[in-house]
Amino acid sequence: MKRYAYYMSCINESMTKEVDRSIDFWQKDLGLEFVKLHEGTCCGGSNLDYVSPKHFALVNARNIALAEKMGLDLVVSCNTCLMTIRTAKKKLDETPALKKEVNDILKKEGLEYRGTSEVRHLLWVLVDDVGLDTIKAKVTVPLKNYRIAPFYGCHILRPSTVLGRDNPLAPSSLDQLIEALGGQTIPFEHKNRCCGFHTLLVAEEESLNVAAEALEEAINSKADFIVTPCPLCHTVLDGYQSKALKQAHIDSSIPVFHISEMVGLALGYTAKQLGIKRHIVC
Amino acid sequence: MKPFDIVIVGGGGAGLYAAMEAMKTNPALNIAVLSKVYPNRSHTSAAQGGANAALANKAKDDSVEMHIFDTIKGSDYLADQDAVDVLCSEAPKIIRELENIGTPWSRMEDNTIAQRPFGGAGRPRCCYCADKTGHTILQTLYEQCLRKGVLFFNEYFALNLSVHGSRSRGLIAMNMKTGKVEAFPAKTVIFATGGYAKMYWNRSSNAAGNTGDGQAIAYRAGIPMKDMEFVQFHPTGLRKSGLLVTEGARGEGGYLINKDGERFMARYAKEKMELGPRDLVSRSIETEILEGRGFDSPAGKYIHLDLRHLGADLIKSRLPQIREMSLNFEGVDPIEEPIPIRPTAHYSMGGIDTDNFGRTVMDGVYAAGECACVSVHGANRLGGNSLLDILVFGRIAGHTAAEEAGKFEPGSISEEELRESVEEIRTRMQPSGHYERYGALREELGQTLALNVGIFRESSLLHKGIQDIAELKERFKKVRVFDSSDVFNTNLQQVLELKNMLDLAETVAVGALAREESRGSHTRIDFPVRDDEKWHKHTLATLVDGKAIPGEKPVTMGRYELQERTY
Amino acid sequence: MTEIIDQHQEGKRDVTFRVFRFNPQVDSKPYFDDYTISAERGITVLRSLNYIKEHVDATLSFRAFCQAGICGSCGMRVNGISKLACTSQVWDELDKCREPGIIRVEPLRSLPMIKDLIVDMDPLVDKMTRYSNWIDSTMPLADMGKKEFLISEEEFQQYDKATDCILCASCVSECSILRANKEYVSPAVLLKSYRMNVDSRDGIHDLRLAELVKDHGVWDCTHCYRCQESCVKSIPIMEAIHAIREDALESRGPRDTSGAKHAEAFMEDIEKKGKLVEATLPIRTNGVVWTLRNLLPMAMKMIVKRRTPPPPPLVKSAKGIKIFRAMFREMTEHVKQDHLKSHKK
Ligand SMILES: Cc1cc2nc3c(=O)[nH]c(=O)nc-3n(C[C@H](O)[C@H](O)[C@H](O)COP(=O)(O)OP(=O)(O)OC[C@H]3O[C@@H](n4cnc5c(N)ncnc54)[C@H](O)[C@@H]3O)c2cc1C
Ligand code: SF4
Ligand code: SF4
Ligand code: FES
Repeated sequence: MKRYAYYMSCINESMTKEVDRSIDFWQKDLGLEFVKLHEGTCCGGSNLDYVSPKHFALVNARNIALAEKMGLDLVVSCNTCLMTIRTAKKKLDETPALKKEVNDILKKEGLEYRGTSEVRHLLWVLVDDVGLDTIKAKVTVPLKNYRIAPFYGCHILRPSTVLGRDNPLAPSSLDQLIEALGGQTIPFEHKNRCCGFHTLLVAEEESLNVAAEALEEAINSKADFIVTPCPLCHTVLDGYQSKALKQAHIDSSIPVFHISEMVGLALGYTAKQLGIKRHIVC
Repeated sequence: MKPFDIVIVGGGGAGLYAAMEAMKTNPALNIAVLSKVYPNRSHTSAAQGGANAALANKAKDDSVEMHIFDTIKGSDYLADQDAVDVLCSEAPKIIRELENIGTPWSRMEDNTIAQRPFGGAGRPRCCYCADKTGHTILQTLYEQCLRKGVLFFNEYFALNLSVHGSRSRGLIAMNMKTGKVEAFPAKTVIFATGGYAKMYWNRSSNAAGNTGDGQAIAYRAGIPMKDMEFVQFHPTGLRKSGLLVTEGARGEGGYLINKDGERFMARYAKEKMELGPRDLVSRSIETEILEGRGFDSPAGKYIHLDLRHLGADLIKSRLPQIREMSLNFEGVDPIEEPIPIRPTAHYSMGGIDTDNFGRTVMDGVYAAGECACVSVHGANRLGGNSLLDILVFGRIAGHTAAEEAGKFEPGSISEEELRESVEEIRTRMQPSGHYERYGALREELGQTLALNVGIFRESSLLHKGIQDIAELKERFKKVRVFDSSDVFNTNLQQVLELKNMLDLAETVAVGALAREESRGSHTRIDFPVRDDEKWHKHTLATLVDGKAIPGEKPVTMGRYELQERTY
Repeated sequence: MTEIIDQHQEGKRDVTFRVFRFNPQVDSKPYFDDYTISAERGITVLRSLNYIKEHVDATLSFRAFCQAGICGSCGMRVNGISKLACTSQVWDELDKCREPGIIRVEPLRSLPMIKDLIVDMDPLVDKMTRYSNWIDSTMPLADMGKKEFLISEEEFQQYDKATDCILCASCVSECSILRANKEYVSPAVLLKSYRMNVDSRDGIHDLRLAELVKDHGVWDCTHCYRCQESCVKSIPIMEAIHAIREDALESRGPRDTSGAKHAEAFMEDIEKKGKLVEATLPIRTNGVVWTLRNLLPMAMKMIVKRRTPPPPPLVKSAKGIKIFRAMFREMTEHVKQDHLKSHKK
């Protein structure tokens, strides 16, 4: 059993509950044990960073310190949470004064940020720790005959100085996972593009245009569905899909899955179990 | 088009400063700046080193007077001393002015503008912004011009001056976006079109567009060129592109190696070795190549600049830019392989003959910057003095034109004249039968110049060069423009630039043949010493009936007597 | 001797350049031309294009000037990525081709096409003007050229990297939001605006900032980091964008614009619950009317699917929220102290 601390992203507790639920179904099958960090707090999205850089450092030092206390790496299933927490980690590791200031406060809770735990995405754990061969061996319902558009999203790739796992211009980890599950990846120009989530409430029209472009390519390339490692991308591409496509005058639709659901399906769990019925497009 | 008071041709440092100053001098004037590239692309951006000014921030005992002396000595006593006075005494003011409007100069510990040593200067007086001095100066000037609402005509290619009798009536230029030939009637025209060292083509560190357009236009309009034979070579240009590998590589301890594996500088400068002065190192490399000790390749002969013994760490930490250049432009990683290099034409001292106010001999026509020859650089420019030159004299030319514009009638350019310019272009687009490729001509021009009018000059070589240029000019008549479209016809533009280079190349070669002495950048094997008696003077070249007619002009002396130039 | 010859037998490879062509005078729509040439090691994409123009097809049109990565003229998309042709090695690009041996060359995006690889840069210049991308000096006119400002190394460091920008527009071409709306300020212009705003010599900080927070300004950036990732000078553009936002919140207050309100909501929620209260985020960002008009139809669908975020009272606080809150507030005190200190300076 490989053990990890599991960071509970706000969105997975509200709008995309099926992500954590799916993981719960299959984690044991793949020899994984995710220990949920109930004390963890919101990472600040991509906003706290500039609203208050010091609070940003504190909050995320704490999130990581909670994992360090258990001696585990921290696993995240949301791109933006991943980027945000890793950004904080980089700043803390590079700025001793900040680390000290933060640790002086964390003492109150008996915590200390040391920088010993890695912060990793669920996708990376699957591909790098579990391994493609193990995954292949566990597949019971291969995603044969499915043409799948891999949508990586931004914050699992960029800034590459913070993420660094995939080549941001030609990422491959998600493609590899899809293929290990028996699916067929299609060439997808938008694979490393943006979904528009972060400006949905500030510049809605622009954001929906951004989303529509990606959806349009997937639809035009006759993909059966889109898969993404990020619940935020999922929310836009699924939840806002009809609005985005309407704005772009496209009369069509395409289902979107989070990787946790795709893994669940290939390991033999049903759409109903995984909560896929709750998607807007399905 | 409504007549302009001032039309400035060129959006480099000289042109932009002229525009700013002209607006300041008289805000009511109607001023236009034309540039064949967006102003921020101008070659001023390539200057890395810095600009000289005796601010005395670093060496407290530095003075304008010392700067003046260094410049005159550096020029091999060919600079006009009154002009050098202006250059150096305006320097501190202009550097501070740039600072005041936003140039991000690097700083000293006491927060004043930083200064560093530079070749040929007795004190560290070169003001810099890291290794991007020209770039940041140009950005600052462009920003300020946008702030002041300067009227830009970007991507307009200047074709001809409209001349009537003894004065100009304005400029004719082609709008690259539409291909339309347009008239810019104007009371005054300022040329600020940069240098001509690109005529050495692949053997030049210059931008592709440093083709001496302004000089060629002025030359064809009958305005004399001055001291054209003086072209500065830099010892370490990349083999394929001629792009510059800065002095830092040798400064950190790089070796120059010939094909026999020798550190040949031992033959020429036993003590200083690779760190000898620029012109000496250039001549040494050239000698090795000429005597058959260079490497050979399809891209030409070269020698090695070897950094490998410095080790990966030092190369990565101290010479990252040089490594990047070498990787990007030669595909060679200096950690693993030596860099192929050879001397490269770098700067043109000669240019449009002007007085200390930027005036040319033609009423209403001015020039400033590298395209002009005041002369402050004489036979050899000091590093860091060129940026200074374009700023100081750009400003002066802008001021003079603004003051004098009122003296002249508004210009007017007839439809007829425009049509002639269009005709000239059209004929190039449809010759029949045998034709020449402009690319080949351009390359041959660079080759013959480098070989015959290059670092080492000699009577028979120069005759050969002159003959080659004449033949190339003949062949040019058959050059064909294949792109027949109006929109952004870069094919046409490059052909017109080639024409300018060919016209100017003749003046360079003829000037070099005439000057029977060695002075500054001009080295005659057959006349190896400076001959002040016969040649302490400027040469002129004026176009009369299609021929370059040589002339001369005395050098203005002042406080400093002629001396031998030794370092 | 043979050894020397061998040394100069530089490797060569056949490379096909698949180049975007469009001449508005004759073409009704763009197309691609293939040019196959033999390229030696060390050759750049720009030199290859020059070769093609000189020897194969003189009508092929592109911009280039310095050929040394400093003038910013030759921005174009090579194998799909916006970059400088003059600093891109052909052999490196060969490793990135989608179809083996075929390098795709296309114009930058999001700027109007002129011809082939040439796009119109005027929109960018117009934006630089709109956002006052210049220093409006506080030096009195009478003192110009006579005095120096004293600038600390610390201040210089703030804009040093930003002044590397050569306006090549690679980031502009890659920007997600600009693709969606051409009015958007653009990353390079944000970067330049930032550079001006942190310069102590400048006197129009407030004016510039007021323009930046308007529609199509700094709050429209969707944090996709594409600009930063493609910057040919490796400038951390997002740091500049974040800094403008931080400045906007501080100088103009957290209730200034919907962008500011949105950002500030994160701070509020984390302090209160340790978790984001997504349900009320739209209302707090844009008000009730906007939310009803824009989100109601979707909310209905969400409700049917039970996808709506829980209302605020039902958002569970993170475990151990009390002590977390105390720590959070302690940091607030630190920040207050920092501000006092910096104001004293
Ligand atoms: C690699 C390199 C490094 C250098 N380093 C230094 C240094 O460290 N210090 C120093 O003092 N000097 C240095 N120099 C020299 C210095 O950079 C130049 O001499 C100087 O920048 C020239 O400025 P300018 O304004 O005269 O011309 P440019 O900056 O060359 O501008 C010429 C302008 O004219 C326009 N133009 C040209 N032809 C036409 C036409 N036909 N129609 C319309 N517009 C036209 C162009 O578009 C451009 O805007 C260096 C030069 C090089 C090549
Ligand atoms: S981070 Fe912002 S400015 Fe940069 S590319 Fe994305 S949307 Fe554009
Ligand atoms: S920020 Fe970088 S990519 Fe963007 S224009 Fe400037 S140099 Fe080019
Ligand atoms: S040609 Fe100047 S940056 Fe490429």
